[in-house]
Amino acid sequence: MIGARNWMRVLVVMAALGCASQANAEPYLAAQMGLKCAQCHVNPTGGGMRTVFGNAFAQTQLAAKKIGGDDDMWTGQVMKFLSVGGNARANYTYVDVPHQDSTSEFEMEEARAYLDFGVIPNRLSVYIDQRFAPGNSTNLEANVRYWIKENAFYVKAGRMYLPFGYRLEDDNAFVRQASGINMQTPDEGVEFGMEQGNWSTQFALSNGSGGGPENDKGKQLAARVEFVQSVWRVGASALYNDTDAGNRSGAGLFGAFRVGAVTLLGEVDYIDDESIGVDGRKLMASLAEADWKIRQGHNLKLAFEWLEPNRDVDEDEQQRASLLYEWSPIQFVQLRGGVRLYDGIPQNDNQNRTQAFVQLHGFF
Amino acid sequence: MSEPTSNFMGRQGFFLLPVLLALAGCAGNGEGLDQNGEPVSGGPPPNSDFAEIQATIFTPICTNCHIGANAPQGLRLDEANSYAMLVNVASGEVPSLLRVNPGNPDTSYIVQKLQGNNAVGARMPFGGPYLPQDRIDLVRRWIAAGAPAAASPPNQLTVASTVPGSAEVAPAGTSKLTVIFAGDVDASLATRETFGLRNGFDELVPLAAVRVPTGRPNVVELTTMQPLLQGTYQLEVRANGPVALADNAGHVLDGDADGKAGGDFLMSFDVSAGEKK
Repeated sequence: MIGARNWMRVLVVMAALGCASQANAEPYLAAQMGLKCAQCHVNPTGGGMRTVFGNAFAQTQLAAKKIGGDDDMWTGQVMKFLSVGGNARANYTYVDVPHQDSTSEFEMEEARAYLDFGVIPNRLSVYIDQRFAPGNSTNLEANVRYWIKENAFYVKAGRMYLPFGYRLEDDNAFVRQASGINMQTPDEGVEFGMEQGNWSTQFALSNGSGGGPENDKGKQLAARVEFVQSVWRVGASALYNDTDAGNRSGAGLFGAFRVGAVTLLGEVDYIDDESIGVDGRKLMASLAEADWKIRQGHNLKLAFEWLEPNRDVDEDEQQRASLLYEWSPIQFVQLRGGVRLYDGIPQNDNQNRTQAFVQLHGFF
Repeated sequence: MSEPTSNFMGRQGFFLLPVLLALAGCAGNGEGLDQNGEPVSGGPPPNSDFAEIQATIFTPICTNCHIGANAPQGLRLDEANSYAMLVNVASGEVPSLLRVNPGNPDTSYIVQKLQGNNAVGARMPFGGPYLPQDRIDLVRRWIAAGAPAAASPPNQLTVASTVPGSAEVAPAGTSKLTVIFAGDVDASLATRETFGLRNGFDELVPLAAVRVPTGRPNVVELTTMQPLLQGTYQLEVRANGPVALADNAGHVLDGDADGKAGGDFLMSFDVSAGEKK
């Protein structure tokens, strides 16, 4: 960990940026603070390990109360060239599906650890994101990242999450399901990125096999560009996956706007997948989310999602409404709870289920 | 930049969201659709365990994610692909296990994923709700029975699907075709005499190999001598003439799906002008 003097430097940097800090893996936090994902995450596209700034953010602003003194600040840097981090989420979930007995269970959703070997500080890193639970250890990301120009241009190669829309923590969000790009489907390839001024841009070339073994010569292109201002942001995404089974293309728009203590996020994606059925299938998905920072450490989230699974079929649309409360009583601990209401065609019970959950989230 | 705080304007913004959402769509009423969100076809109900698994598990639940070119682990569980991508195919997460090991539900990775005793990753369906026990039992029963394909009519062999599919556009450079049967094929009859491929000039395209892959007795793979060029092609599986394709019990292929043995199976597809991959 860095000492008190270095910690003061962090505070100075934060003050210079003119923003109170906050860090986690949810895009609303970045939108709330007018920051890029790269500000708080080692990965410029967000998610996974936090930067020194991100860790400071989590301790001083996300938490309602900080335990310990400034000398006890966790930065993630355990030695000069090595930083570590992690996430663990333990859930209690209740599910009610029409015409079925309701169920509930305790569940370890995930336990992940991050390692970042900064072999050439601020230039060359080897990064690993390993999931240790549930089940045996599984690699989610393993890549080499080289900043061609410090904090401006980078190239990344290996296994990685792909850039498309918002990197939501919830992989079951309709926009992440429909796009097929989420944290369950890391892919192997190469990514080029630019973090210049208000712009954040990524372009990835990967196998396009959903994290599975590559079985053809076709590749996937995924690109994302975002323009970030202090109270609003707007971005666009595109993908094209060339496979023997049929080509898949997609485009999306996303943006956010902050109104006082409330941050509004939106994303709309359109996917044209020729690999489904005889005629292919066109899908649309959207997300609208409002996050209300009631006071430090307390966030109320309201989200509505809409999914059109097949544009050629009428009356098959689905909706999901979520109301969540997130409380961070002390640093690196978050208690989340909420309910998700699914609304789909009446013939499909699963599309009309209700889920409620409480989650204890520990991270560093 | 100032610290965002709770204020009246913020609260207005929060409750503004439902108003904005009024502009978005609503859930469908499902009129004229089956439980899978597809127009009601009026076809017969599932007539086998696998057909029931497809109709009640894979299509309505799993294909929320496991569909199309970006399906997780490349596993596509739509009706046209599920059987060929499951039975006797190694798991992506644990390659030492087959996704479906016919006759052995306990060592089939799909069962482990559904039960939650899988070695790697999350239980499926991802994020729940997990399948009721009777649905898991259905999958186990199907595998224990040898994981047969969807039943064909009694004492008949039919074509279940092909890759590329009928009327699909395959990329230039395609050199492999796959035919999946509803029933096990007599491998000795899977030859260039029973399988043929013609180009748009009605010329036979030379085939380098026609084979039944090991452990997949209901599948025949064709490999062309040369990658296919742009154009229209017709795949033939012959059920007439001196040599006709049949299953292991000697039931001749019902290629034209008229409910009677005999009748060639014919299917056309296109190859795109794209560059060879």
